[in-house]
Amino acid sequence: MAAFIARRSCVFCRCVGINVIRQHVTLRNGVLRHTNKTFQSSVSYGTRETAGTQETQVHIPVERLTISYSRSSGPGGQHVNKVSTKAEVRFHVQTAEWIPEDVREKILEKNKTRITKAGELLVTSELSRSQQRNLSDCIQKISAIIAEASEKPHEPTAEDIALRAARLEKRNKERLRKKKIHSATKQNRRVDFD
Amino acid sequence: MSFPKKPGGKALDVLQNLPRITLANLRPEPGARQTDKRRGRGQHGGNRSGRGHKGERQRGNRPRLGFEGGQTPFYLAIPKYGFNEGHSRRPQYHPLTLKRLQYLIDLGRVDPTQPIDLTQLVNARGVTIQPLKRDYGVQLVDEGADIFAAKINIEVQRATEGAIAAIERNGGVITTSFYDPISLDILIKPVPFFVRGQPIPKRMLPGEDMLPYYTSADNRGYLADPDKIQQARLALAQKYGYILPDISKDELYHMLAMRKDIRQIFFGLSPGWVVNMPEKKILKPTDEKLLKYYSS
Repeated sequence: MAAFIARRSCVFCRCVGINVIRQHVTLRNGVLRHTNKTFQSSVSYGTRETAGTQETQVHIPVERLTISYSRSSGPGGQHVNKVSTKAEVRFHVQTAEWIPEDVREKILEKNKTRITKAGELLVTSELSRSQQRNLSDCIQKISAIIAEASEKPHEPTAEDIALRAARLEKRNKERLRKKKIHSATKQNRRVDFD
Repeated sequence: MSFPKKPGGKALDVLQNLPRITLANLRPEPGARQTDKRRGRGQHGGNRSGRGHKGERQRGNRPRLGFEGGQTPFYLAIPKYGFNEGHSRRPQYHPLTLKRLQYLIDLGRVDPTQPIDLTQLVNARGVTIQPLKRDYGVQLVDEGADIFAAKINIEVQRATEGAIAAIERNGGVITTSFYDPISLDILIKPVPFFVRGQPIPKRMLPGEDMLPYYTSADNRGYLADPDKIQQARLALAQKYGYILPDISKDELYHMLAMRKDIRQIFFGLSPGWVVNMPEKKILKPTDEKLLKYYSS
């Protein structure tokens, strides 16, 4: 693919004076980069928020999946009767090396209703009128299943532990302070004879 | 090979043998002439002539359209909202379905072995663009993506994600590029422009509002980074569930990799050149200042 890209950038040099043209584009790009700077830092008070938005998605090898199309159900006249728009994707879970072992086990546990007797995970979609969109929807569902199964229980970081310890201590101190005040109040109300 | 036939040959031969044609001999084809509907005539259509009984209806004095007898009419009761504000300043893109594109290719009107451009589409009469009606080009729509099976190098002005996926799935290349209205006019009608005798202008870059669209790799913009475009191709293949074919191993790779320069309007012609149609010559500028201007 690198050759392809190199060729494409060579093709850009068709006309005279390519360097000057590039300057135009980079100038404009510089303007754009300014506006993107503001979105960088969002302070989170704990580390819980970053866990849900991780971008480490498993690459789904399309050639390992069995894809078949059939006719969708529901109303729609001639179009729904004739055109195969329902997409069905299956793959055998145990032999799928592109998913880590523990994630495979979890998938089998969580999605018992989607697993066939042969041990294949079956996902269907008849969301839209188009075969391609339905296939895309199936792949999205598969990646959602894998993402759900690869969720790890949240481990408290050192920051979290320190924060929790500090809060507990503060709570305890406050409790004891209030206790002392209450005790003083009660003592003041006591009437000692002699 | 065949002799040019004189117009109306057979008919003239037939006429020579038939009797003289007069008004009495002529008659239109049955079904060619439809008689008009005439209201209010005859025993059953007459009397009140289809106008009803007395009142404004019969007397032809009904109030204007939209009048509701004094109640605030619908078209005045509803408050104004700027749905159509600035409609005459909005860029419009004529939709081109993949179904139509496949149809044109199958009929041989568009040649898939050459890069497909808006000029090619207009020459094939596949689309009609009116630059004076705020058309900024053509957009590729993914209706007919199921039946689309052609490997092409196409350049449009906008494209939907499904259309990009369909083209790349078949091993083709798609680019979205911007043409300002003057360049678009020239692109659509090249010959009338060459007849004018003016030098080919340089294509302008898109404005602020359109620049993000043409610099993003997801839209395969002509100003986008080629590396990012490659990544976007892989990501799209992942999303739509097809294996991205390797174009560099194709025999038509050279054609598929052909792309216009940012300032170029026609393949093979640079800005600044003058095309002389009657003498079939191209005149190129030699002055330094002109060269510098046209290459910037």
